[in-house]
Amino acid sequence: MPLSKACVIAMFIGAGWAGKAAATTVQFFGWGGSPQVNQYLQWVSEQTQARYDIKVNHVKLADTSDAVTRVLGEKAAGNSSRGSIDLLWINGENFAAMKQHNLLLSDWAEQLPNFALTRPDENPSMRMDFGIATDGQEAPWGKAALVFYFNQRLVSEPPASLAELLEFARQNPGRFTYPLPDDFLGISFLKYAALSLNAANRQLLYAPVTDPALATITGPLFTYLDKLHPLLWQQGEFFVRQASMLQQLFSDNEILLAFSFTAAEIPAAVSRFDLPQATRTYAMHDGSLSNVHFVAIPFNSARTDAAKTVANFLLSPEAQAYKQRVSVWGDETVLSMEALSKEQQQQFQTQSHPAALAPGAYQQLLAEPHASWAPALRDAWYARYGARL
Amino acid sequence: MGFSTVLTLARYLFYLILLVPIAVGVIGVILPAAGYFPALGQHGWSSEPFARLLAHPDISKMAGLSLFTSLLATLIAFIGTVAVLAQFYQCKALARIQHGLSPVLAIPHAAAAIAVAFLLAPSGWAARFTATFTHTVLPDAHSLMYDDYGLAIVLALAIKELPFMLLMALGVLSQPNVKQRLEGQMRVAQTLGYCHQTSFLKIVFAQLYPQVRLPVLAVLAYASASVEIPLILGPQNPPTLAVAIVQWFNHTDLSMRFQASAAAIVQMLVTLAAVVVWLLGEKIWQQGFRWQLVSGNRMWGKAGSTWLARLLLGCLVTATLLIMLSMISYSFAGFWPYPNLVPTQLTLLHWQDALQALGKPIGNTLMLGFVSTCIAVLLVLLFLESEQQSNRTGPSATLADKLLFIPLMVPGVAFLYGLVWVGQWLFAEAIWLPVILSHLVYVIPYVFLSLAVAYRQLDIRYVHVATSLGKSPRQVFFRLKLPMLFAPVMVALALGAAISFGQYLPTLLVSGGRLATVTTEAVAIASGASRRLTAVYALMQMLLPLLGFLLAWWLPTMLFNPAKQAKPSGSRNRTC
Repeated sequence: MPLSKACVIAMFIGAGWAGKAAATTVQFFGWGGSPQVNQYLQWVSEQTQARYDIKVNHVKLADTSDAVTRVLGEKAAGNSSRGSIDLLWINGENFAAMKQHNLLLSDWAEQLPNFALTRPDENPSMRMDFGIATDGQEAPWGKAALVFYFNQRLVSEPPASLAELLEFARQNPGRFTYPLPDDFLGISFLKYAALSLNAANRQLLYAPVTDPALATITGPLFTYLDKLHPLLWQQGEFFVRQASMLQQLFSDNEILLAFSFTAAEIPAAVSRFDLPQATRTYAMHDGSLSNVHFVAIPFNSARTDAAKTVANFLLSPEAQAYKQRVSVWGDETVLSMEALSKEQQQQFQTQSHPAALAPGAYQQLLAEPHASWAPALRDAWYARYGARL
Repeated sequence: MGFSTVLTLARYLFYLILLVPIAVGVIGVILPAAGYFPALGQHGWSSEPFARLLAHPDISKMAGLSLFTSLLATLIAFIGTVAVLAQFYQCKALARIQHGLSPVLAIPHAAAAIAVAFLLAPSGWAARFTATFTHTVLPDAHSLMYDDYGLAIVLALAIKELPFMLLMALGVLSQPNVKQRLEGQMRVAQTLGYCHQTSFLKIVFAQLYPQVRLPVLAVLAYASASVEIPLILGPQNPPTLAVAIVQWFNHTDLSMRFQASAAAIVQMLVTLAAVVVWLLGEKIWQQGFRWQLVSGNRMWGKAGSTWLARLLLGCLVTATLLIMLSMISYSFAGFWPYPNLVPTQLTLLHWQDALQALGKPIGNTLMLGFVSTCIAVLLVLLFLESEQQSNRTGPSATLADKLLFIPLMVPGVAFLYGLVWVGQWLFAEAIWLPVILSHLVYVIPYVFLSLAVAYRQLDIRYVHVATSLGKSPRQVFFRLKLPMLFAPVMVALALGAAISFGQYLPTLLVSGGRLATVTTEAVAIASGASRRLTAVYALMQMLLPLLGFLLAWWLPTMLFNPAKQAKPSGSRNRTC
């Protein structure tokens, strides 16, 4: 065991003892709009209290940017050690803003003992948030990835790659579609296609967009879409406006293949009768576009050690397995199954739903391209395929 | 304050509410269209918004689609109305048709669009029904919706318009003096050997048309700028102009508002063009018809109108039944794989979910409907009373009748955005007041149309008797007229509430999305994941107005003795 790791563990034990002396409360600021998430954090608080004598108080935000504003205000007021926020649930945009203004504690996330379980060298998305390096300022918490689903009764072998998807569309014309790029899921499909079709130039997508880079990337993308569109639902003349419409079309068997960014919503929809019982979820072999959501510690937190302990617990196999249960939250784990022992892996397999994604189904995770690519791809798409209104 | 002062005030208020919001709204659209919009840093005037709009590659297609769908739908509904009347005028069946169609009138446009989508969807009930014979496993890949010519829009608009036109026409035909005269003329024509349908077309229709022209034009104007139906059923590349305007106004790029404002002006021109085309068609028809009037052909139009009336009524009834059946089935459906005609299991889950989520929207809907309808009915009653007292049955009365159609003729998309802009500037924080005002603009005309006939028909001799017994005009109004008009007032209340329930664009825009009603929620959920939940929402949308009408029919029979039942009079020429 490297010395540094031993030190960190010793530090955590020390923090635990210190906590016993005076029960610590970690102020966890995060979006509070989901009952499942709120209940999960309640469970986390019970666990950390029992283990480390640390309470987790979930301050429920309507908008995470409120917390960003608060930290900024504290910094402006000269409060650099008694901040009100100890742990903050953020992603993408807010992280970029906070990093830019040096509002976050640095170089702590990678020192968490459980961070290694994410196998960050194989999963670069654990260190990148919308194309921006996390620099140890954020610890991964959960992830969402593009999953596809099909009806087992009607499709025996779903396409496993973008190339096979085109073949699938040829054999089943009119049975696949994707939402307009205004929609989050629509632009996500374009990003996945851009990444998958430009394997050699992938690094371009992780830097801010430039005109030549856009031309390079959209070349193969549009060649592919030109072939795909006539084979789409309504011959590509009509695209659904909202991602949710995909589910409805799939439910009516109008399309035979659909996709989603929240794997957990598929078994939930089956239980609500909105998807057929024979629905099965899987991940593409040529990669699944994924984005990870993170927890960060503001630079002025008064209880950084306790916050790190909680962040490490959030990354523990037990907490991650509980979170991934469909009945709890259904949020995908950030841990790599290969890094876990057999018993730990089994924790992730409890209570599976036939329509849910099998654990470890992701073959390869594709990190989100740099934030500037989404508007560029969207505009290029509309310019080529017409302004859909 | 004397009763006559109240009446005068009411008359001014009536005109104010009817005209000011529209005038203000149109100005609020003209300014940005001319390049003036201080909030976006544009203080000058420029023709750029129009230049940008006209440079749009699809602008003529959009305008053309709006023209085509509205004209075709109105024509179908109009021909259907005339055919049904020609076939069933003076028949008992007409009363049944009238009662059957009244609920369709109360269905909001958004619900009608959702309902038609249920029918036309490749996996809809109609397709399932045919699939039981063809044994197909998968629904057809080609949808009947979203077609480039907007035929699905035409169908939905025609279904909504036919009952409205028919009821307007029946309203005219039931006026006692008109009814008596026409029945006499019909008898003469039939004595001369003209068959029933031909007598209707040559005598009644020619006198009826000038009286229903305005409602027909209002229907046409509405159709040319309708948003909900093309949004749910129409094509998107390009859509109708009205849909494009809404999308541009809601675009995240705020500079699109200039183009949207310019497009709103063009929308007014498109609506005008539709009206002009209709009036031209009218002139052409008149030429042919005038010759037919004196041709002496006793069977003219008989076969056509019989055939058309049966076909259109048959289609309408079948479509309505299928739609209702499929929506009710979906709202209770558990798993329901495609070719199955009925769900494999039933559940109350969707109703429970919807009713939980709809608590607040239902409250908002009822509140808006109640307040705006009460204001509207009160204003209209006072207005009609002031009209009767000043004995104005001449030019002023017809002026009011014509002004009423302004809110129905000016496209909502053309003035609502301007109204929102001015509204935010006048009362920035208020939500309810501006929304109620915007509802009143639409509720007042319908309430007026529904009340005016009954009010003007009230036998004036009752008033003379009461006055001669020493009753003041106020006493006559409250103690004589209102009780006698209880039934029509209730119907007007129900109609006004139904109109208010159905308002989508005014509610959404003027409240800035802060006031959720059943209709706004239903349109939002219609684009969502669950067809089952959509069915529940659309059914709720139909149930609320229906309850209002049931109440309006039931209360008068409870509180007052029912008025004498109208008996069908006159007899048909049996030889036809």
